[in-house]
Amino acid sequence: MSVERIPILKMGAFLLVSIQVDMHDRLALQLQEDLTTRIAETGAHGVLIDISALEMVDSFIGRMLGNIAGMSRVLDADTVVVGMRPAVAITLVELGMSLPGVRTALDVERGMALLASAAGERYASDHADGA
Amino acid sequence: MESLLQRIVETGSMIAILDITGVPTVDTLVAQHLLKTVAAARLMGADCIISGIRPQIAQTIVHLGVDLNSVTTKSTLADAFAVALRRANLRVVSTAPVRPVGGPMTPQEDL
Amino acid sequence: MAPERLPLETSEQIVVVRQAVRREAIDLGFSLVEQTKVVTAASELARNTIQHGGGGSAQIERLTDGTRRGLRLTFEDHGEGILDIERAMKDGWSSKGGLGLGLSGARRLSSEFEIESAPGKGTRVVIIRWK
Repeated sequence: MSVERIPILKMGAFLLVSIQVDMHDRLALQLQEDLTTRIAETGAHGVLIDISALEMVDSFIGRMLGNIAGMSRVLDADTVVVGMRPAVAITLVELGMSLPGVRTALDVERGMALLASAAGERYASDHADGA
Repeated sequence: MESLLQRIVETGSMIAILDITGVPTVDTLVAQHLLKTVAAARLMGADCIISGIRPQIAQTIVHLGVDLNSVTTKSTLADAFAVALRRANLRVVSTAPVRPVGGPMTPQEDL
Repeated sequence: MAPERLPLETSEQIVVVRQAVRREAIDLGFSLVEQTKVVTAASELARNTIQHGGGGSAQIERLTDGTRRGLRLTFEDHGEGILDIERAMKDGWSSKGGLGLGLSGARRLSSEFEIESAPGKGTRVVIIRWK
């Protein structure tokens, strides 16, 4: 089996992942691991996950997204998932998943804006005690 | 539901106002459908505001035990629109040029 | 059409099953939302077959019932079987991903749902999605 991984790009203080393939479970777990490592390595403030190419999100992938958001938070980074397709959103809701703790945006541009403003807020509150 | 969500994608709208003024009755199915629509829009990155909730409908929703706590609801479309503008950091402003009342007209650029 | 039977032993094979179901659904003229629902249900049940059933198979069949057409998917394993089916289907979402997620979710996404299971006898889940 080839060592395929989903590429993680660094954009300034943020990491960008674009999932373009029909992921099998192990690939998803690898992504979780790789992202956690990269966040810790780079001290990234945010992660943007672009799922606009995904034709399906099942409970496993849904949990993966939730896990990534949770682990990022522990490492002091925000996560935004962007580009969920309508059919996927409708199905996820019917499946019973609401992805709590995962912020969402319509597209990469808005997702980056969300991450930037979240980073700004965090900076403000970190420095709020009269630095 | 699909057409609303599709329109959200096509127009890049971050906020969708669902006005149910024209909906005569709300039963469990309609209420669930509304909640699912709101949930799906949220997963896509858009927020929904439900407007046009008449008092009778408000009563029905409470009696049905439907939890609308996570959804913004307004009784009028105008109120919903105001909330949407605030959330989007937008304002409606007049484009009419401002002129001082009384006194000589000072030359101003026509806006 | 001869029913297609696909093995389910590895997580990569879940993707194979998903893609086969997608192809059939498209062929039958399912709408995008209908396709997504049946593919997602298949993914959940395929995963259960591997993770809880120790491996098995998936069978894809086209159905016609008068004027309506549909897809019937059968997931079989020879694992331990489920002791209390009702309880298994009621399990709420857990971070580990218990059986309940896949089963009740798949039921909600399907037109018809049937499950047969007994300790020591394995499990068989059949779902039908009508167009």
